[in-house]
Amino acid sequence: MKSAGAPTVFIIDDDRGMRQSIQDLVESVGLHAESFATGGEFLNRKRTNDPSCLVLDVRLPQMSGLDFQRQLAEAGMQIPIIFVTAHGDVPMSVRALKSGAVEFLTKPFRDQDLLDAIQQALQRDRAERDRQAEIHDLQERYDALTAREQQVMALVVSGMLNKQIASEIGAGEATVKIHRGNVMRKMKAGSVVDLVRMADKLKLSPRR
Amino acid sequence: MADEHVQKTLEELSRDLQESKARLEEAQRVAHVGHWEWDLETDVIVWSDETYRIFGLSPQERPMDLATVQSLVHPEDREALYGGVDEDLVAGIRPDAEFRIVRPNGEVRTVHALTSRRWSFVPRDAKRDSAGRPYKLFGTVQDITERKRAEETLQLTQAHFREGQRLARMGSWTSDGTKCQWSDELFQIYGLDPRKGVPGTEEFLTIIHAQDRPSMAEAIRSMLEEERGCDVTTRVMRPDGKMRYVRCVGMRVVEQGVFKGFLGTGMDVTEQELLTQELRRERAYLNEAQGLAHIGSFACNFVTGQNFHLSDETIRMHGFDPSGPQVPFEDFFATIQPEDLQGVKDALEKAIRTRTDYDIEYRICRADNGNIRFFRSLGHHNPAGEIGDYVGTTIDITERKRAEQEHEKLRRLEGELAHINRLNMMGELAAALAHEIKQPIAASITSANACVRWLERNPPDLARARAAAARIEQDGNRAAEVINRLRSFYKKGSPPKREMVDIKEITREMSDLFRTEAIRYSVKIRSEFPEDTPNVLADRVQIQQVFMNLMLNAIEAMKDTGGALTITARPNSQGQTIVSISDTGVGLPQESTEQIFDAFHTTKPEGTGMGLAITRSIVESHGGRVWANANQGAGATFHFTLPVEDEAHA
Repeated sequence: MKSAGAPTVFIIDDDRGMRQSIQDLVESVGLHAESFATGGEFLNRKRTNDPSCLVLDVRLPQMSGLDFQRQLAEAGMQIPIIFVTAHGDVPMSVRALKSGAVEFLTKPFRDQDLLDAIQQALQRDRAERDRQAEIHDLQERYDALTAREQQVMALVVSGMLNKQIASEIGAGEATVKIHRGNVMRKMKAGSVVDLVRMADKLKLSPRR
Repeated sequence: MADEHVQKTLEELSRDLQESKARLEEAQRVAHVGHWEWDLETDVIVWSDETYRIFGLSPQERPMDLATVQSLVHPEDREALYGGVDEDLVAGIRPDAEFRIVRPNGEVRTVHALTSRRWSFVPRDAKRDSAGRPYKLFGTVQDITERKRAEETLQLTQAHFREGQRLARMGSWTSDGTKCQWSDELFQIYGLDPRKGVPGTEEFLTIIHAQDRPSMAEAIRSMLEEERGCDVTTRVMRPDGKMRYVRCVGMRVVEQGVFKGFLGTGMDVTEQELLTQELRRERAYLNEAQGLAHIGSFACNFVTGQNFHLSDETIRMHGFDPSGPQVPFEDFFATIQPEDLQGVKDALEKAIRTRTDYDIEYRICRADNGNIRFFRSLGHHNPAGEIGDYVGTTIDITERKRAEQEHEKLRRLEGELAHINRLNMMGELAAALAHEIKQPIAASITSANACVRWLERNPPDLARARAAAARIEQDGNRAAEVINRLRSFYKKGSPPKREMVDIKEITREMSDLFRTEAIRYSVKIRSEFPEDTPNVLADRVQIQQVFMNLMLNAIEAMKDTGGALTITARPNSQGQTIVSISDTGVGLPQESTEQIFDAFHTTKPEGTGMGLAITRSIVESHGGRVWANANQGAGATFHFTLPVEDEAHA
């Protein structure tokens, strides 16, 4: 039984022996693991918000692991992947890593290599989840700004002075100051530099 | 005195008489004429010396009488000669007679006897008896055998001549420029009546076919006006309505430089002419057919270099002009490509020497445009003919040859493709097997890791560790099973097929297959087999694969250096055949030479490590052994043994 928030290691390998041994290894270090014979079985499983990673065999009966990786990315399912293969070659591993794989291991692999890779993958997933949470938070704050405030914020992060912003939006400098103060407060920014970093994370393109 | 004179006169007279008699005898001898005297009363006959000779007797060897003479006359002529002699004598006829005599040696001669007119014909001169019969006859006898024979021969010759003309349908004619004489047969040929005589020129021309009339008229004119000979063949419309071809030949007769006229013949050549036309037509058809099929025919003597017959197509095929001047024998030979000339000469020489037919293929360079063509020439030797006499055909096989070359190229390509396929297949098979084996091994390693970790926990989780260990056993067995399956690939895969296999032939096939590759890497393939190399009892396809694997390895070992690939066979002490395939390449790795036969063991960057493993499986499934050793010099030699046919039967 896994406690809420605890990470899960998913394993997809068509070879039953392989699948079981990896799951057992993962469990022997106290991690929760679930294994599937095909990608389809994995997709049917209900996902949680807990951190997870995927140990994926390159050669699957229906489609190759690389194609499955692409399919997951297209579906917006972000999960760190560790590839394992019985006969990997260099071009294949390069392709996998370029597509965002955490590690590419050739069977038989050293157990520590796999466990390290799993830890790294879970770490990455956690970081990614944190980042996603932060962006989600920022987006909420940004959405709470008035249209005028969003306009002023864009001009501030592009480096304009109050006077320039005033002439830009056709308002008085005092008015700009009030808007600017609201933006800083609502966005919980301690400084202009802080605000710029937030705009960056929100992928707001600087005007100009 | 008077007596003396008389005496002398008598002596002179006697001498004269003797001389006259001698002269007469001599004259008779020279002229082959003898004389006789027949006393009708006594039937005593007196003959001159020559008469005796004519009858084949020695002069005066015995006295003659009628009975003796009669016995010498040919029995068939006796009756005619003596039958009515009495009446004839009375009537005074039979002044001469011709009859045959038989000489004592059996020779038959014909003689002509004359009875003197003086004595037999004129009654007052004959000595006659009371009945008015002469009692003494005188006459001559002449041997006319030769003359008689000549006469008979002449008669026969004339008869033959007439018959000959008739049979040959050839008449003759003579002309002295104004008057013309025809033989009977000539009238027959022209269908004219000999009784009406030789027709005049105008009349003659009316029976000539209108289309041929001008040429005949011209021939007659040039004979009469220019004294020129002629040889014209015209159609004659005979009065009986039949059309015949008649060839008229006239030859000038010149005696001592003076023109005397013409001697000529007229021949009915209808049959020949029709045959000739038929022949010409056939020949045209044949030429046409030969031209379409590019087949020429010829008849020649290769020893003397004479051409007896060359069809138009034969001439044309070589790039000569059939309507041009005759092409000498050597010119045909000169068109043969230099590379092929010796082969052609050798083949012809052998055929001529052994008096057999020949069948050769060679290239020629056409005399007119320099194109290279492939010819096949078939020659049939006529055993009845001279040495070197051949009748044959020449066929242009360029198209077929080009198609063959294309086919050969395709075949080679197919071979190469098959080879590549095989390599690919081997690669895939190896990869599949590698995956199959790797999977359980990786699983058991992981399980072992997990097992250790369960044991290292505090407290150790023995139940999980036991479960992991059980999986290790499972996966270990799984790996062993895969390997067993591989090892029995050739043992159980298909029921063993055993047939007699000629390893010389397989070596040849494989050498052909690898020829392109061998040339590319400068590898010479040689095979040395004793004449009595026995057949082996094996699965042909599998043995081919063994050869293929080992030869391919050998070639690959010499890829960078080139070298020699040698295949040999010899019997070993157990009566098996040892086949050895050696190269002069990179040699064997330092490690144990046994290991190289293990599956997946490879020293080559592109190798699958399966070739030698499969080779060993095959050889062992045949009850043989395979091993390798390094050569004294460069390279390695692979050996394998195979049971021979006899042993398998024993």
